[in-house]
Amino acid sequence: MTLELKDVSHVYAPGTPFEVEALRGVSLVVEPGEVLGIVGGTGSGKSTLVKHMNLLLTPTIGEVLVDGVDARSLKKSELRRRVGLVFQFPESALFAPTVEEDVAFAPRQLGLHEDEARERVRESLRVLGAEELATRAPFALSGGEKRRVAIAGVLAMKPEVLILDEPTAGLDPATRQDLLALILGLREAGISVVLVSHDLDEVAEVADRVSALHEGRVRAAGTPAEVFYREPAQAPATVQVVSLLKGSRPEIGAPVRFKETLETLRALRGV
Amino acid sequence: MENPGEGTRPGGSFAVSCENVSFSYPGSERPALSEVSFGLRPGEYVGVVGPNGGGKSTLVRLLNGLLRPDSGHIRVSDRDPATEPFEVRKRLGVLFQNPDNGLVAPFVEDDVAFGLENLGVARHEMQGRVARAIRAVGLEGYERREPDTLSGGEKQRVALAGILATEPEILVLDEPTSMLDTAGRREVLRYLKALRPEKTVLHVTHHLEELTGADRILVLNGGDLIADETPERFLSDADLLRENRLVLPVVPRLALELGLPPTRLSTPEELAEAILARAESGTRT
Amino acid sequence: MTSRSLGQFYPVASPVHALDPRAKIVATAVFVVGLFLIDSTVGLLFVAASLVALVAMSRIPATTFLRLLRPVLLIVALTVLIQVLFSRGGATLVEWGIFEVHSGGLRLGIFLALRILLLVSSAGLLTATTAPVALTDGIEDLLSPLKRVRFPAHEVAMMMTIALRFIPTLGEEAEKIKGAQAARGADFSEGGPLRRARSLVPVLVPLTVGAFRRADELAEAMESRGYRGGEGRTRFRELRFRKQDALALSITVLVLLVGILL
Repeated sequence: MTLELKDVSHVYAPGTPFEVEALRGVSLVVEPGEVLGIVGGTGSGKSTLVKHMNLLLTPTIGEVLVDGVDARSLKKSELRRRVGLVFQFPESALFAPTVEEDVAFAPRQLGLHEDEARERVRESLRVLGAEELATRAPFALSGGEKRRVAIAGVLAMKPEVLILDEPTAGLDPATRQDLLALILGLREAGISVVLVSHDLDEVAEVADRVSALHEGRVRAAGTPAEVFYREPAQAPATVQVVSLLKGSRPEIGAPVRFKETLETLRALRGV
Repeated sequence: MENPGEGTRPGGSFAVSCENVSFSYPGSERPALSEVSFGLRPGEYVGVVGPNGGGKSTLVRLLNGLLRPDSGHIRVSDRDPATEPFEVRKRLGVLFQNPDNGLVAPFVEDDVAFGLENLGVARHEMQGRVARAIRAVGLEGYERREPDTLSGGEKQRVALAGILATEPEILVLDEPTSMLDTAGRREVLRYLKALRPEKTVLHVTHHLEELTGADRILVLNGGDLIADETPERFLSDADLLRENRLVLPVVPRLALELGLPPTRLSTPEELAEAILARAESGTRT
Repeated sequence: MTSRSLGQFYPVASPVHALDPRAKIVATAVFVVGLFLIDSTVGLLFVAASLVALVAMSRIPATTFLRLLRPVLLIVALTVLIQVLFSRGGATLVEWGIFEVHSGGLRLGIFLALRILLLVSSAGLLTATTAPVALTDGIEDLLSPLKRVRFPAHEVAMMMTIALRFIPTLGEEAEKIKGAQAARGADFSEGGPLRRARSLVPVLVPLTVGAFRRADELAEAMESRGYRGGEGRTRFRELRFRKQDALALSITVLVLLVGILL
């Protein structure tokens, strides 16, 4: 599906002394089968933005469109099945006595037949590499394991778009890399992934396109190279290194990912 | 390992020493720590790395007496944390991972004073120490703020101020930045860096870039102390990194792949300079 | 990241806010007891007038204060209604089928309603003019003589402080968990009361487990900072009992005495 936000503004607590405009005129599109990175510092409105995608929040102004149709006209449960949202530190919402039971929650809420629900559970755990955890108690798992289970729980709805809000927060670097590989795997399987992250290096590795938010507005949008090279001071390390060399080596090009940056740098030194 | 390893600053007895320390959590088959021995000299800055579940957090809790070793000896400032925890905690402060769960009081000031209250410091002395600690972490003006109005980085700085107020000689940092975003991490590290010359520091972390200035790095894996190396040797050892599920951050990794020294090159500026210098001089390693 | 201190506290500078919390707590307690000793409506009205003057002095806007009374309006209305319909005594004012309204019933209804309103107002004024931290300090101090009979005054105060500190945090956590479960198709608004109660399980369980985990980590952090109960602890915040506090207490007692005598 194509998920679009058109000129979305969101004001919290309007008309009270706590009124705050979290989003202003934000437009973006999530194309089918791509990884869209959303970056920005704390207070940029990333989390608010993402909650509009499955209408946990409704826009004060503007529209949310699913395949061109106003998302508000869809049944909420239908929308939330098709647009899956995984919050930051999602393991804090695990509640069932076993992993299987927890992952089965969403399929059951959708009214699926018990057999189909179980199948979904098995499938999701497999994708997350967490099959051996099926009969374990969620509370007894390690941080990384719990994270996988939580994501599996949302994946079990078989969403067309999967939104991950800071999915690698608090994880050790090796587990982080596993998760990034998973995101690429999901894209291969045809699921669009929206990756919200403050970690520019990780967004650089997996995103097809990037939207950069700043104080509730879209500061820049486009391919990672377009967005990051425009503002090298707020870019992934790879882009920063290459930008610094551009002065003395104008022919250098615009790599973003690690591998291509390494190749570019190697070529530079005449290897 | 009895020998404290390379890069140790000379002189004096140990601020912290562990001798053949072992510990298992009740009900667990595997020991969390197995015959671990090492020493920390006063003023040293030592990093501790390793995969999760490898014993790092257990070590922290053994050092300040939250846990008691099953066997072996621990000495902190010449005291045994298991028998004299209160005395040890006066001299060894711990900054924990979760910024929220370390803040006790409804206002910043009161929280910073918490440790001083516990130590029975007189009120007139507390005011000055609290103010100094708050200044040391750059939070002047935040005295009457409530914890849930603060960012993650600010909360950790409050926690740090609370520890600094009691003026411990030894600081143990248990993954203090892993739950923070990039901005928060930068904030906290800046203030931690400023403390380095005066304190003995044990820094547990996953982020290797935080340890480039360390004197030594200890590696704990599966409860065993696998290595005790200088950062230079450590960061260049690809096998050691891989076995311990450690990943170099982007810039040092690029440096390593390009045959440049990873420890001296941690920022994009440094790497760019080094690349240009190498290209200019026309040499190749 | 907006925050409200435990709902009731209204931070503004006023002579009432500046009073020692211990004086305010004791005054409130005395007030509540005194209220039950007043047996005339005139007495209650006199006390009510004094309370109104106090609220004015505390610089709390009338609308804010009246909002504090909203929860009890139903009870007050019911009380008046019951007395009006079922109490006898005095002249009969109205007769309507089996119901008879007597002037005595009306007067009793008003009397009881006034008393309830005054009770709630005094508690409301206390929490509106006293910061939660000051309240817990005050309570700890007042309870400390009980330490001699092994009452854990310090521990009770510490528990209250921690509760105050974490209520907003847990509130946010609950919101977050609700959102996460809603994103998985949970619906908290449909079905009868039993169904709705069950739908809260995916929120209450993780919230509780999370709270226990927090408590664990907090305990470790506290111990690491040298906490070992109330033994040998000093206090950062100072509570100083001054002339105005003694004055406030005496005025409270006097007003009550007048009320009782009226």
